[in-house]
Amino acid sequence: MGKTVLIVDDSNTMRKIVSRALRQAGIDFDEILEAGDGQEALAVLADNKVDVVLSDINMPNMTGLEFLKAKSEDAAIADIPVVMISTETGADIIDEAKSYGAKGAIKKPFTPDLINETLGALL
Amino acid sequence: MDFAKKIIHTTEEIFNTMIFMEISSGQVLTEGQEVLDCHVSSMIGLSGDFNSMLSIHCPGNIGRAITSEMLGMDVEEIDEDVKDTLGEIANMVAGGLKESFAAEDINLELSIPTTVSGKSYTVSSPTKSNRVIIPFKLEQGRFFVEIKYSLR
Repeated sequence: MGKTVLIVDDSNTMRKIVSRALRQAGIDFDEILEAGDGQEALAVLADNKVDVVLSDINMPNMTGLEFLKAKSEDAAIADIPVVMISTETGADIIDEAKSYGAKGAIKKPFTPDLINETLGALL
Repeated sequence: MDFAKKIIHTTEEIFNTMIFMEISSGQVLTEGQEVLDCHVSSMIGLSGDFNSMLSIHCPGNIGRAITSEMLGMDVEEIDEDVKDTLGEIANMVAGGLKESFAAEDINLELSIPTTVSGKSYTVSSPTKSNRVIIPFKLEQGRFFVEIKYSLR
């Protein structure tokens, strides 16, 4: 059965790039949902059954880290796995993301194989 | 600081992993060649232990070709997709530089990328800044990655 993924990035183009990489990775997603920042992502998670989230870190309105923190405080969505996908993958940022429940991090630039390997372990 | 080596490594990594276009770097330029005959440029600032601005300059056909490959769709004009794609590439090149310099205990922060397009424009920077330009060759032509920097 196909899964649903949510891509969170303020760049419309990067969301297209990640969507394309997911298709190239060969993961069977029924639906690919998108959000432009953390606030939009929380709204999407409230209204949809999502299996995994791929989230940027640096975004306006609500950053990826703020999104993670807010999500971890909402029991209804706290268990949905989130993987950070960003140019910012320094150890301090990743440690902070993991303290809020992030399950991994993918550094840009990335390959479809890396997406497959990272998400495959979560689905 | 070997800016050229870091930029070449990061740019080739991006093209090999996410764009799937073969590129080769040409001779590094440090002065002259003020006019690059390009129609779209994306710029991003790096500030901290030194100040710099990294730019990617493309002729229109190269910007369209890169965007088409990266997004997997036909691109007919210099539209928002082209501008955003070049901005993302500039962001990734700058991110690679930031990470590389961090390993040498040189700390930098990135600004938000900005992209401009047109038939005639000039990108200026402080007169005392240093300049490195790396030409990259694609099947369709050349594009340039430039960094202007001033050490504290």
